Amino acid sequence: MLIRFYLNNQLKEINSDPDKRVVDLLRENLGLTGTKEGCGEGECGACSILVDGVSKLSCLMLAAQLDGHNIITIEGLADGEKLHPVQAAFVVGGAVQCGFCSPGMVIAALDLLQRNPHPQRSEIRQGLSGNLCRCTGYQKIVDAVEAAALEMGDKL
Amino acid sequence: MKKVLFPLNVEEMWSMWQDNPEAGLLAGGTDLLVKLRSQRIRLKTIICLEKVKELQQINTDGAQIFIGAMTNHQQLLENQVVKSRLGCLHQAAAVLGSPPIRHMGTIGGNICTASPAGDTLPPLYVLQANLELVSPTGSRIVPIEEFIYGPGKTALAPMEVLKQVIIDLPVPGIQTHYHKVGQRKALAISVCSLACYMQLAPDGSVGEARLAWGSVGPTVMRFPEVEALLYGRKISLDILRQCGELASQKVTPISDVRAGAEYRRRLTANLLIRLLPD
Amino acid sequence: MKDSTVAIGTALPRADGPGKVCGTEKYAADYYPEGMLWAGVKTSDYAHALVKEIDVSAALIIPGVHAVLIHKDVKGSNRVGVPESDAPVLADYKVCHKGDPVALIIAESREMVSRAAAAINVEYQALPAVFDPEQALLPDAPVLHENRADKNLLLSGAINKGKGALALEECTFSVESEFNLPAQEHAYLETETGVACLNDDGVLELVASTQTPFRDRMELAHALGLPATKIKISAPYLGGGFGGKDGITVQGLLGLAALNSSGRPVKMWNSREESFKSSSKRHPARMHYRLGCKQDGSLHALSCRIVLDTGAYASLGGPVLALAMEHAAGVYRIENTYIEGFCVYTNNPISGAFRGFGAPQVLAAVEQMIDMLADKIGMDPLEFRLKNAVNRGDELGSGVLMSRSTGIVACLQTMQKHPLWINRRQWEKDAPPFKRRAVGMAAGMQGTGYGPVVADVANAKLELLVDGRFRIYSGVADMGQGNNATNVQIAGEILGQSAAAFELLQPDTERSLPSGSSSASRTTYSFGNALQGACRLLKERILTRVCQMGMGIYQEDLLLVPGRVHHIPSGKDIPLTVIATAMTDSERVSVNSYTAPVARHHEIVNPAVRAAGFPHLVFCFACHLARIEINELTGEVTICDYLACTDGGRVLNPQLYEQQIQGGIVQGIGYALWEDFKVSAGEILSSNLSTYIIPGSLDVPDIISLPVETVEDSGPFGMKGIGEIGINLPYPAIANAVARATGRRIKTGPLSAERVWQALQAEEEQ
Repeated sequence: MLIRFYLNNQLKEINSDPDKRVVDLLRENLGLTGTKEGCGEGECGACSILVDGVSKLSCLMLAAQLDGHNIITIEGLADGEKLHPVQAAFVVGGAVQCGFCSPGMVIAALDLLQRNPHPQRSEIRQGLSGNLCRCTGYQKIVDAVEAAALEMGDKL
Repeated sequence: MKKVLFPLNVEEMWSMWQDNPEAGLLAGGTDLLVKLRSQRIRLKTIICLEKVKELQQINTDGAQIFIGAMTNHQQLLENQVVKSRLGCLHQAAAVLGSPPIRHMGTIGGNICTASPAGDTLPPLYVLQANLELVSPTGSRIVPIEEFIYGPGKTALAPMEVLKQVIIDLPVPGIQTHYHKVGQRKALAISVCSLACYMQLAPDGSVGEARLAWGSVGPTVMRFPEVEALLYGRKISLDILRQCGELASQKVTPISDVRAGAEYRRRLTANLLIRLLPD
Repeated sequence: MKDSTVAIGTALPRADGPGKVCGTEKYAADYYPEGMLWAGVKTSDYAHALVKEIDVSAALIIPGVHAVLIHKDVKGSNRVGVPESDAPVLADYKVCHKGDPVALIIAESREMVSRAAAAINVEYQALPAVFDPEQALLPDAPVLHENRADKNLLLSGAINKGKGALALEECTFSVESEFNLPAQEHAYLETETGVACLNDDGVLELVASTQTPFRDRMELAHALGLPATKIKISAPYLGGGFGGKDGITVQGLLGLAALNSSGRPVKMWNSREESFKSSSKRHPARMHYRLGCKQDGSLHALSCRIVLDTGAYASLGGPVLALAMEHAAGVYRIENTYIEGFCVYTNNPISGAFRGFGAPQVLAAVEQMIDMLADKIGMDPLEFRLKNAVNRGDELGSGVLMSRSTGIVACLQTMQKHPLWINRRQWEKDAPPFKRRAVGMAAGMQGTGYGPVVADVANAKLELLVDGRFRIYSGVADMGQGNNATNVQIAGEILGQSAAAFELLQPDTERSLPSGSSSASRTTYSFGNALQGACRLLKERILTRVCQMGMGIYQEDLLLVPGRVHHIPSGKDIPLTVIATAMTDSERVSVNSYTAPVARHHEIVNPAVRAAGFPHLVFCFACHLARIEINELTGEVTICDYLACTDGGRVLNPQLYEQQIQGGIVQGIGYALWEDFKVSAGEILSSNLSTYIIPGSLDVPDIISLPVETVEDSGPFGMKGIGEIGINLPYPAIANAVARATGRRIKTGPLSAERVWQALQAEEEQ
């Protein structure tokens, strides 16, 4: 079926099986391998994307559900070489180790900061609670989101 | 390859469904797509409900709230009426799954999945929610307690859909709470949960009390005898322990990979202690 | 900022950060080569059975199925595993656990792979199975590997020091207990994956998520019957490893698939469930301990028996046992010890390397014993540890000599002065209603490197590029710990360059040089040492060349600065681009080999255990403190505060250092409280991330990490490896706190809410 949607602010028209999982469509058909898969059933958050600005799990979405929506993946955040403030805070703050959870974490952080630009530390932990990380122990990720919130102020 | 259909309204939904009688309904996907992946179910056609306009909105007329089946848990969480008047439902939405799960999963999905561990269910039981079911031939109202009759088992007839959840808004003086024990703080299936609804007189004595437990039986469970114990009494450790003793004898928990039956039985009683005022 | 020289000791952001947060860094999972096929396996339905007949005909006729391969299609030994090569690429005459691959399917899509797997018919003859390691040691137990003289015993050994267990009778106080620890799943976010292709030159090329590309190459050559020169493996950044990718995971299957795919590339990527089934775990451990001290609180005798369940295949079970025995008596001087260990085959899932490598199990046990004994003699547990902890020059209870930097006493003293320790009693008293609070602590160590027999060699290669930048050819995979970033820091410091001056090449059997595994807390220690030498060599060449270019004869006059060489007397600069062009290709490349020193101690253990890595020379040390709150109504344990004092030598980068400590501790908290890899009769019950509970962001506290720096003069810039030490102590620190709060020792891990609740019940009933 023909699916039309905005992908990282560009109109996309693609032919896809309607029941293909969005994570597969992104990775296999569109070459956007920044969206990761860690469990396939919504437990790890590695496949998170923004759908109309809201974080959702691309392993639990079908390609047909993209039609008419505005999708942002991890690849759509940086402006050329210039990282998004959340991404920059992750790098500077040491929030990245193996990095396989990082794209999903950044998406979760963005979702949180859009709802709550000045979160408490506990609210950050709450906002990241759908994303499992096996390397960092979360602390530096929380630090990074805190720093990004400070950096961005109300700009988001 | 499966067909995926997107009806825009109930009428379209019926005609698509009539054309594809074996189709499965997709609400938020957090349950259905997990089951499809593990091949616990197989489908040739999926009817996706996210665009069916009659299933979306939350309305209130001051006395009742009407929650469309496709309302997701985040919308539930952010709704001011739910927050101020239906505390237990708000609290349940807050600890359900995780942020992205809440952005996707719906109250209708949670109800129709009919898992005894579904987080919104104990609150809906104590709120005595009514469910409006619609079919091509009409609609009917079924209390949630009659709707769910076993794990994954509901009173939905063939070609029938849950349209909305109707709840009488509690009058002032009613307190409701939801408490959950899971294996971790988020992304957790409840091991035992408790919703309560209590009418408190100015002197602190209990009028009507409703208690519903999750994950300790094939469905969410309420026990009139336990609720009756509270009537006319002030909340105290003693009375809560008495209620707990009785309730723990009545529940029928199972042992599984998450917890043992005996532990769930004890939690049934102990969660009541959380109702003690701070 | 961009041009500033990299300095050791600063929090230089990791070079791999930007690519990873932008989603542009390509992991093995991210390769989808043009025209590729998918590969996947059909696994055994039995935990132990003879394979009588494999009928693949129904699978082959499914449209889109390219090939179905079975053991007969493997041209080599069909065995992988180091040091024991006992695991089949594809099961041949028998299966030994439920994750054993019986057939390999190559098809156009993953869906077709799973349809084909379901269509394959395997006829088995069930064999009696054994799931309990103690029972597996009995003479009439079913035998997994008939060719082994020791039947189900993979490795055993004993240390008898001083008077051994007999000295327990000389003790004024003694305690005895048993401990059972479960398997722990690595649960790295990127499950086992890779792509493979047989190229036009007949070379099998693999990109794999592996900690050991060079070793894999030799293993594949042997298993698949190819010359090693016909195999090329590259290891991009891993999406986590923790020991679970120390060796072959999918590489054998992938290689086999690519040899049978008519030249088309093949991809394999385990689902989470397949990963849980097939990957190695931390060894479940059963330990029995006795520990005694004299009237004055000096430890006098320890006796223990350690039984590790290695599952169906050896994996690194032998070396894990050796390290467990070495760490079994903790960080204390104990004159008389008897330590015996057994690593045993069963029909359970495979156990192998996992961060800590045997130390988390034994330290969980011995550190609880220490607390029990301190309680018995009425001594403060920290004082008790201080009194008995080793200094440099002392021997551990396991007989290992501490001949290098030894900072455990300093760690303990640091904790002793910390408010979390000083104020612990008051904090415990302030527990709110229905809550109990307690503070627990533990101390321990981690030996680093491969031990006395297997050479720990690293070969660094560094190139001055013609554009004036430097390329570091990493020989050790980066599974997330950030060794690449540390390489930049080491090279930048020596060469006076900024971080931007370095290009990092990931391990690749063709371009970089074999440098051992990404494991054993040895990566930065060994490769860093090799790299230091390569940097100094190249620096010397650059400066020599500058002298020859007419800038005088004294290298002392020259300073390497970002992008240039500065001639101090004249103030003139020569760009590195100019110097690079003046050098020959081979001159611009420096190579340096480093072999880590080994313990020269007299032999304390039987040769087989020594060969498996006993003893180590360099150790890092730590003590941890956990403040916990128990919910009396539910048994749930909350970690309120956590403190770690760690001697990892000098800190090269405080940010990377904290990453390792924090990450290790949270994995350890998971091991202590939630992670329970449940297996029943060989069947995995906790089969996915919804039933195997790893900690999320709300489940763990912020961690205070205090480095207690020593200088390890054998390590680059005085460092010691700290990749593992963090995971070793959360279990005992938390267990000691739980015991203090409940008055009960929970002998079986994890310390789940249900078990803690049972302990509270037992107390109530008493």
